[in-house]
Amino acid sequence: MSADPSERRAVISSRWSYVLRRLVLAVPVVVLAASLTFVAVRLGPTDPVGAIIGPTGDPGRYHEVAVQLGIERRVDGRYVAVPLWEQYVEFMTDLFTLQLGQSWVISPETSVYAVIASRAPQTLWLAFWSALVAVGIGVPLGFYAGLHPNTPADYVASVGGIVWRAMPNFWLAIVVVTLLSQSGRLVGIDWAALLVPTDVVTSPSLTHLHRPERLAAAIKGILPAALVLGSASMGNEMRIARTAVLETRTERYVEAARAKGVPRELVVWKHVFRNALVPLVPVVTGEFFLLVGGAVLVETVFAINGIGRLFFEAAVQGDLPLVGSLLFLFALLTIGVNILQDVLYTLIDPRVGYER
Amino acid sequence: MTGAHDPDPDLDPNPDTSLTARVRRDPGPAARWGAVMAVLVAVEAGALAAALLSVVASVVAALAWLVGGATGAGVPVEGVLAALDGARAAAEAVPTLLSRETIPNQGHRTAAGGPWTGTFLGLEPAHAWALRAALIYAYAFLIGYWLFRGYLVFRRHYRAAEWTPRDDRLDRFRDHGWGRFGLVVVVLFLATAAFAPALAPTTPERNLVAPCQHQVTYYDEAAGSVASTPVCTANLESASNGAGGPNVGPLSYDDYGRFHPFGTLPTPGKDLFTFLAAGARVSLFVGLLAMGIAGTLAVAFALVSAYYRGPVDLAAVVAGDSVMTLPSLLVLILVAATFEGHPLAEVYSGALVVALALGVTRWPFLWRAIRGPSLGVAGRTWIDAARSFGQHPATTMRRHMLPAIAGYLLVYGSMMLGGVLVATAALSFLNLGVQPPTPEWGRAISLGEPYVATQSWHVATIPGVLITLVVTGFNALGDGVRDALDPHTAAESGVAVAATGGDGG
Repeated sequence: MSADPSERRAVISSRWSYVLRRLVLAVPVVVLAASLTFVAVRLGPTDPVGAIIGPTGDPGRYHEVAVQLGIERRVDGRYVAVPLWEQYVEFMTDLFTLQLGQSWVISPETSVYAVIASRAPQTLWLAFWSALVAVGIGVPLGFYAGLHPNTPADYVASVGGIVWRAMPNFWLAIVVVTLLSQSGRLVGIDWAALLVPTDVVTSPSLTHLHRPERLAAAIKGILPAALVLGSASMGNEMRIARTAVLETRTERYVEAARAKGVPRELVVWKHVFRNALVPLVPVVTGEFFLLVGGAVLVETVFAINGIGRLFFEAAVQGDLPLVGSLLFLFALLTIGVNILQDVLYTLIDPRVGYER
Repeated sequence: MTGAHDPDPDLDPNPDTSLTARVRRDPGPAARWGAVMAVLVAVEAGALAAALLSVVASVVAALAWLVGGATGAGVPVEGVLAALDGARAAAEAVPTLLSRETIPNQGHRTAAGGPWTGTFLGLEPAHAWALRAALIYAYAFLIGYWLFRGYLVFRRHYRAAEWTPRDDRLDRFRDHGWGRFGLVVVVLFLATAAFAPALAPTTPERNLVAPCQHQVTYYDEAAGSVASTPVCTANLESASNGAGGPNVGPLSYDDYGRFHPFGTLPTPGKDLFTFLAAGARVSLFVGLLAMGIAGTLAVAFALVSAYYRGPVDLAAVVAGDSVMTLPSLLVLILVAATFEGHPLAEVYSGALVVALALGVTRWPFLWRAIRGPSLGVAGRTWIDAARSFGQHPATTMRRHMLPAIAGYLLVYGSMMLGGVLVATAALSFLNLGVQPPTPEWGRAISLGEPYVATQSWHVATIPGVLITLVVTGFNALGDGVRDALDPHTAAESGVAVAATGGDGG
C-alpha cells in the first residue's frame, strides 16, 4: 500500500469499481437465471395446471387455475391460451416485482411468502450451525496440519478430510442418526437424554429461545444435522486451510519477521494465520452452494421441516409455482452471497483491483 | 505421440517418420504385443462385446427419441433395437473364459453335509465365486497393464523422439502413491461395471429383474432330497429384514445353498452384490454421459471465450454464472420429478434423463476449472502467430489450444465424476431418477435405512462405503494426474469446491 494519500484513493476507487462491475454483471445473471426457471417450470413436460389439479381433482377447475397462473385468459366467454412470450413477460415481471403468488398443492390458498416464512427459520438455524461447525472444526484442523506438515497428525487429518468430503451426505446422515439413537447401548451415554432431552430425528422447536433450556434443546437438536451438512465444506476448508498455511509459511514477509526476531507465536498469529484466511473466503461463501443442495437430503433424513424439504415436496407433488419462486429466491441468494464474497475480498485483500 | 495420427505413409513427405513405416521396419515388438493383446481380447470377446452393445442400444434409443421429438415424426428404431438386442444375446452366448458357465458357483449339495455338485470342480459356492471374481479382477488389471505396456513398446521401439515431456509426467505419476491408489480403485470400479453379469454370484436377470421365471435347485434338509423352487420364493425366504426378522449377512449362505458375498436386501430379498455390480454399470453410464456432455460444453466455452475474449468472454461468464446460480441438486430434483412418466424417462429406467440433466447443469463448474489454463494458453505467442498467418480460428483452437487444456479436463473431469455419482445416488435415495428394476446404489442405501442399527446393517452400510471409496478414488486419480501434469501448481484453489460438484449430494 502506498503512503501517498491521492494514490491510495485511486487504488481504493479502482477496487470499488471492481465491485461495482461485479454488481452490474449480476443483473444479466439474475435475468438469465429467472428465464431458466421459466423454462424449467413452464416448458417442462409436466403441465403445471394438470399437476396442480392432480389426477383425482376436478377437471372443471382446469380453466380457472390456468387463468390464475396466467396460462389462459377469458375472451368473450371462451378460454384462450396466452402466447408464450406474454406468459414469459408476465412471469418475469411477477418475479422481479417479487409478487410470488400463492402455493397450490403444499398449502393451498397460502401466499408463497407465508409458506416460506413458516419453513425458513429451521433451515437458517441449520445453515448457521453447519457453517459454524464446518469453520470451527475444519479451519483449526487445517491450520494445525499446515503448521505440522508431514507428521502423522497431518496425514490423519488430511486423509480424514478427503474421505469425509467424499462421503455422501445422505448416507452419513443415516449413520449419524443410527449411532445417536443407539448411543445408550453403544457407549453408555444416551444422546437423547444427554443434558436436555431431545429426539434425534425431529424439527427443533425455535420458540422461546431466550430461555436457556429451550435454547440448549434447539442447539442440541440441530447439531447432528449440522455436523452432517457441514461435512463436505469441513473437508474443503481443512484442505485449503492446510495449503494456505503451508504456502504462507514460506512467504518472504514471514521470513523477514522471523529474521528480525519476532517471536514464533506472534509470527504465526499475525502473519501466517491472517494471510492464510484470504483464500478461505471463497470456500466459506462457497459453502452456501453445498448447504442449499445438501439441505434437501439432510432435512429429509432428520425430518426437519425446512426449505430444502419444502422444495422437494413441492417438486414431487407438482406445486410448480412454488418451485419456481423458490428457485428464483435461491438464485437471488446465491448472487447476493457471491457479491458479498467479492466485497469481503476487496476489503481484506489489497491486491484485488490491481489486476487488469 | 508424433506421427501417431498419420494414417497413410504415402502422404507423408518423409516415409521414414511415419509410424506404420517404423513398425514395418521392425515388426517384432509390435507383433508380440499385438498377439498377446489379441489373445486377451479373444478370451473375453463375448463379454466385452455384450457390454458395448448394451450401451449402444441405450444411445440409439435416446437418439431416436431426440430425433423423433425434433422432427415430430416417430423414428422406426424398434428393428434396430431388436437387432442390437439379438446381437447382444449372441455376444453373450459366445463362450468366454471368465464366465459363470466356465466357473459356475451355483450348485447344491447332494446330501446333508455332502459334496457339492454343479459348482466348479465341486468347490463350495463361496470358493468358486471368489475364484471367478479374483480372476475377473486380475484380468481387468492385466488388460489395463497390457494397454500401458503397448505405450511402452511404442515409446521404446517406434517413437521418433528420444524423450518427450510426457515421459516425465508418467514418471511423476508412477511415483505418486495417492494417485496410484486412485487408479486402482477406478480400475476396480470400471471392471465391476464392465463385467457385472459375470462377476456377481447370480445374474441381474435371474435375481433382480425376473426372479419368478427362474428356478433354483437346492438340497432340502427337511425332506432330505434335492428340490427346486422359483428364485423369487427363495429370495423371500432369505431377505434381510432387521431385528427379529430373517437375515442373511455378508459372506454367508442362505437356506438354498446360495452364497451372498454382501448379504441380501430387505424383502423381496435380492442379492446385494448382484444389485451393486449392476448398479455400478448404471452409475458409470450416467457418469460418463454426464461428463461427456459437460466436458464438450466446457471445452467449447473455454476455447471460444479464451480465443476471442472481450464481449464473447463476458457473455460466456454470464451464461455460466446463470446456470451455476440455480442450485444443481434442486434443478436435478425438479427435472427428475417433472420428467416422471415421460417417454424420455423410460430410456434406461430414467438414467438418461439424470445424465442429461447433470451434464447440462454441471458444465460451468468444469469450465471454471479449465478457464485459467485456457486463458493462459490463449495468451501464448504461437496463438498470435497462428492468427497472424490467417489460420482458421477453429483449427487454432483444436490444434494449438485443446492439447494444452486436455490434461486439466481429465483432472477436473475425474474429480467431478465423483460428484456426479453422489448426485445420482442422492436422487435414487429420494426415489427419483433411476427407477426399479434397474439397480442404483442410492436405492440400496434407501432400502437399508431402517435397518442400520440392526443385524441387517450391511444393506445401507456396504453401498455407502463403496460410494465413498469410489469417489475418493476418482479424486485421488485427479490429484495424481494434476501433480503429474504440473508439479508446481498450488494444490488447492476455489476450484476444489466446484470439483466436488457444487452441492453436498
